[in-house]
Amino acid sequence: MKTYLKTAMLGAALGLGTMVAMPAANAEDTIYAPNLSYRTGPFAATGIPLMNGQRDYIMMLNERDGGINGVKIEYDECETGYSTEKGVECYEKTKSKAVVTQPWSTGITLQVLPKTNVDKIPILAPGYGFSPMANGKVFQWAFNPPASYWDGASMMLNYVSDGDLDTLKGKKIALLHLDHPFGKEPIPLFEAMADKHGFEFLPIPVGLKEMQNQSAQWLQIRREKPDYVLMWGWGAMNAGAITEAVKTRYPMDQFIGIWWSGHDGDLKTVGDKGKGYKSISWSVPVADAPVMADIKKYVVDPGNSLMEDPADINSVFYQRGILISMILAEGIRGAQEHFDTKNVNAEQLRWGLENLKIDDDRIAELGMTGMIAPFSTSCADHTGHAGGWILEWDGSKFAPASDKLTADADAIAVLEEVKAMEYAEANKPWPINEECNM
Amino acid sequence: MFYRISGQFKTDYRSDHALFRVRQDAVLMGIILLFAWVIFPFTANEFVFQALLIPVLIYSLAALGLNILTGYAGQLSLGTGAFMGVGAYACYKLVTIFPEMNLLVAIGLSGFFAAAVGVAFGLPSLRIKGFYLAIATLAAQFFLVWLFEKWAWLYNYNASGAIQVPTIDMFGIRVAGPTASSFVQYYFVLFVVTIMTIFAINITRGHIGRTWKAVRDMDIAAELVGINLLRSKLIAFAVSSYIVGVSGALFVFLWRGAAEPNLFDIPLSFRVLFIAIIGGLGSILGNYLGAILIVALPVILNILPEMVGLEINAAVVEHLNIMIIGALIIAVLIIEPHGLARFWAIIREKLIMWPFPH
Repeated sequence: MKTYLKTAMLGAALGLGTMVAMPAANAEDTIYAPNLSYRTGPFAATGIPLMNGQRDYIMMLNERDGGINGVKIEYDECETGYSTEKGVECYEKTKSKAVVTQPWSTGITLQVLPKTNVDKIPILAPGYGFSPMANGKVFQWAFNPPASYWDGASMMLNYVSDGDLDTLKGKKIALLHLDHPFGKEPIPLFEAMADKHGFEFLPIPVGLKEMQNQSAQWLQIRREKPDYVLMWGWGAMNAGAITEAVKTRYPMDQFIGIWWSGHDGDLKTVGDKGKGYKSISWSVPVADAPVMADIKKYVVDPGNSLMEDPADINSVFYQRGILISMILAEGIRGAQEHFDTKNVNAEQLRWGLENLKIDDDRIAELGMTGMIAPFSTSCADHTGHAGGWILEWDGSKFAPASDKLTADADAIAVLEEVKAMEYAEANKPWPINEECNM
Repeated sequence: MFYRISGQFKTDYRSDHALFRVRQDAVLMGIILLFAWVIFPFTANEFVFQALLIPVLIYSLAALGLNILTGYAGQLSLGTGAFMGVGAYACYKLVTIFPEMNLLVAIGLSGFFAAAVGVAFGLPSLRIKGFYLAIATLAAQFFLVWLFEKWAWLYNYNASGAIQVPTIDMFGIRVAGPTASSFVQYYFVLFVVTIMTIFAINITRGHIGRTWKAVRDMDIAAELVGINLLRSKLIAFAVSSYIVGVSGALFVFLWRGAAEPNLFDIPLSFRVLFIAIIGGLGSILGNYLGAILIVALPVILNILPEMVGLEINAAVVEHLNIMIIGALIIAVLIIEPHGLARFWAIIREKLIMWPFPH
């Protein structure tokens, strides 16, 4: 009876909402989930497919299921152009009614991170942000599921060493990285691993201004002859690096990028020459996944997608955007069920994101089999440390080229603890979740 | 009518040299100060503080610093962003080395570091002029940003290479850090900006300001009438960089909360230069008007469609915004090449004559 009444009231509210006026309606019967998008600016080429994916998944849920448990999600974009300044502006603009902040750039994440304890809005930064955010006791409001940059770095090392890191002894591993907080993220982990397993680690920074012209860096690579070149590249830097690698005839099978360096658009510019280039990824594009069929049916075919070329539906970044929105939607769903309410607020969503259970069954239910590895979060672990796969460029698209890889959870956990405490120390007084006993 | 100056006689030199020679100017200034000190802070919400009020003040201060160098002393500089960075990093080192230090003192001191760096890079101005000097300051820009990236001591060996503002209390009130309230931060910034503006007005009106203007208009003539060019130019670099350095410290500590080196890269220098040029070179008021146009207007244009209930795609709004601001900048520079400050001067003159123009 009670639920019946609730549904009736909700229906009435919905009807009333549409009758009165559109802007007034969103206060009661939808959940407002803004996204700090970057469809403009120097990184727009990578931003557009990601944003399209995020948007289309939410639209599909709204069309197919009428939202999540009957509540529509109001997906809204605030354009930042990847600029930190605009990002903070967007955060301030949306925070009064938002249940989540999706900051998108490491710069914006770093800026917003300290404010979340005050404003009590969870940050959702899937696969980016600050790796120590995994420590949920320190970073109570920040989430970076399903894998952090340190997970990515560790998976790469496991891949090149075939699972036995000690075989790397005496080898030389170069890290070609953007000279920016994002590019410097994996360095502490690589340094720790190099000390432990006796390989030589060589960071090679690429300045923001030299992204497209990396001849100096590749000259250094030619001179040093590293056994592997790992890349933390972004935007124009990826295409620049791959072009230089082709030019200097660096063996492509020893060249592996992080998941943001595996963008179809970057590789298309080199085409066949980039064959064999690899990228680690926590997401895999699956063309015939049921969820993709639904997105095609409910969003793309009626012409509601912002995607310009329908072929992009199978690109790595578009499908990754879909998974990112899926993580958010699962967080909302979990919170709704736990708190027995339709309209979750930011604090309830925090619980939802902290108790994500994305196991194989759930992935199958969502129609995403093979697109993402199972993971779960807890109050102590805000990342989930899911596995990933190596994707290989075959000249026209990325295809999975390895079994599922996992990261060295123990080595990462130690480092996360140290760096998280360092952060808390530098920003004291910093609240720590004492209730969490995990 | 509203701006009638007849009947306001000056009977001594003192009143003839007063800051406000016309009573209405003083009244207008009073109204502006009332808005800035009382009405805005008590009516603004978090968004208005963080996206409009505080950034406009900080950018105005940076443009004021540049305007002293470029507008008053005639030395074109493209290194403003880097000098702001020097102020910010100096302030960061000061508050992390001496955590008990009062933030106001730390910001005041950090300006001196910027001034010293500014003077060092100002030395070539004695030999080179105009565009060539701009290139020399450009060198400062590139070198300093490179230094912020490579010198790990500057950011306390932080893994991300960025500086994070710690929580700072002053007399028991939280002024910086994530938990500081925007209200307090606004007053802090407003206080510093007010003091700096009074200082700038007086220095440009006085003996030093006059030597700067002489150097700007014709340096050989200035030298012939006995102005020491070396001294005059270096003072301009020092004062300008001091103000720019203070604005950089405010920029990071009272507004951004965190900063990475490339924040201080050339786009920031250009932004400040545009504010100074569009506002009006050689004026104090212009910096504020320029900052409102360049910093606040895009923010307002961004939220406008939503406020009137129009549903426009966020990316489209952003593109429209860039086009409108660009068109406005060009329009202003065509209609009034001397900037917005000159606009105001014309309006004021018209008001004085109104309703009986000759």
